[in-house]
Amino acid sequence: MAQHALERLMRKIEGQEWLDRPGHTLEHGYAFVQNVFGLSQRPVRRFLHGVWFGHPLHPALTDVPIGSWTTALVLDTMGAGKGRREREGYQRAARRAVGLGVVGALGAAVTGLTDWQYTHDYARRLGLVHGALNAVALGLYTWSWWERRRERHGRGRLAAMLGYPLVAVSGYLGGGLTFRHLVGADQSEQEADRLLQPRDFTPVLRANELQEGTPRRVEACGVGVLLVRSNGQIHALGETCPHLGGPLSQGWLRDGSIVCPWHGSAFDLETGESQNGPAIAPAPRFQARVRDGRIEVRRVPPVVSAPPGSALTRQQEMPVQPPRPRQREMQP
Amino acid sequence: MKKGTQVLTDRKKQTTEVITPPKTATQMLYEHHGVLRGIMERLSRTSRDDIEQRRALTDELYSEVQMHERIEEHIFYPAISDFHPKLDAAWSEHRQMTDQLAALLRADPGGARFEEELRLMRDVLEAHAHLDEELEMFPEVERLMDEAWLVEMGERLQDRLDRLRSSRTLRARHRLERMMLRGPGRLIARTMRRGS
Repeated sequence: MAQHALERLMRKIEGQEWLDRPGHTLEHGYAFVQNVFGLSQRPVRRFLHGVWFGHPLHPALTDVPIGSWTTALVLDTMGAGKGRREREGYQRAARRAVGLGVVGALGAAVTGLTDWQYTHDYARRLGLVHGALNAVALGLYTWSWWERRRERHGRGRLAAMLGYPLVAVSGYLGGGLTFRHLVGADQSEQEADRLLQPRDFTPVLRANELQEGTPRRVEACGVGVLLVRSNGQIHALGETCPHLGGPLSQGWLRDGSIVCPWHGSAFDLETGESQNGPAIAPAPRFQARVRDGRIEVRRVPPVVSAPPGSALTRQQEMPVQPPRPRQREMQP
Repeated sequence: MKKGTQVLTDRKKQTTEVITPPKTATQMLYEHHGVLRGIMERLSRTSRDDIEQRRALTDELYSEVQMHERIEEHIFYPAISDFHPKLDAAWSEHRQMTDQLAALLRADPGGARFEEELRLMRDVLEAHAHLDEELEMFPEVERLMDEAWLVEMGERLQDRLDRLRSSRTLRARHRLERMMLRGPGRLIARTMRRGS
């Protein structure tokens, strides 16, 4: 029953259109702060989104407050009804746990806000409520810590008891953001293509139609491929952004990477690696070469640690037919 | 009724009392894209020595982009949200313009970085204004809505833009924002120059 009630709550929140305006106001404000303090620049973004981590940073950090505050709840319960001296030990430990949770929650708040600003409609509304609930809980736990420090443990326990259900509900909504709306997951269409098409070099465009610095979208075996000529060399990547599926061919080039027009994720043209987030996953790579004045592409199989001799390794090592001497040259 | 000959000046962006035939919303926004493009065109023709001119034009670009985003976000997008599903992308693209504008303000107008940021600003603007709005969103709005709606919407947009342009509070706010956005960037640049 509780499960259905929570799911209904989630759907209800997703339908609240009036949340869009405060959401955008918050985003504008945060954007300004980020731009004034240079937080929108590459290294900071990389850190806050968790690109260096290979996984969104926010969900990992949320374990700190949830774990610490659960610990505090356990310690509070255990301390109750004990003798005075023993109780003091529990109280001290509970205070530390609450304090650690507050610090962790601040980190989760910053990373969460940074991820949230690049979400769309339903996820955006859900994320706003998730953040607001957590902000209230953080306030309650900060108050709890303060009261505990001044030896007013009764009030401290009360504040923690009020905050805990909020954290629990909000955690559920946060789960919805990941599992229902796939925030932080790899959403690139090409990655979803398990057949890894096109397996063999497929002609897609006349080489003279691709101009230096102007990204283009082509299709090969029904797969959208982005073609970019940069410094004379032709690069090919998956055309939809792994973050929310933005059209990379409508983006622009910045310092040797292609930038998604929607949320500014930059991908290295050579490796497809994400440079700054919000996209964490790399853009799928394709090989490109020019034959008879036409650009041909094929999918680069993802490098996985498959045991030697396995089907996958063989597929990667298989020569491209017809066998010709080294097919590396990609220059026109 | 108008009397005599009307002299049409080629100063497009001035808010003078020139009586023109009613513009539709899409025409009005298209023309304002032209204003933004014009400022960037003038900026790209300035030389590195002409720091004052570059700074003044960047300031103008900042205000016009901010006002453009404001009229679209407050009037146009809410009005078309029922039948145009891809508005979130447009909102996100505005955010990209805001960020790129901040990068342009941070750059030293006398350096090569400024020219690079200006080139990027043009790419960011075209990705939104041309590839998204002019090629996709506007034709769809024109197809689905009738002339009267478009003209009425155009008047509302123009009216709001005129009011924003003549607002002193907004001008002061933009000046303050630019100062804050330039502040740390300029400080870092100065420190680096001293260090070298």
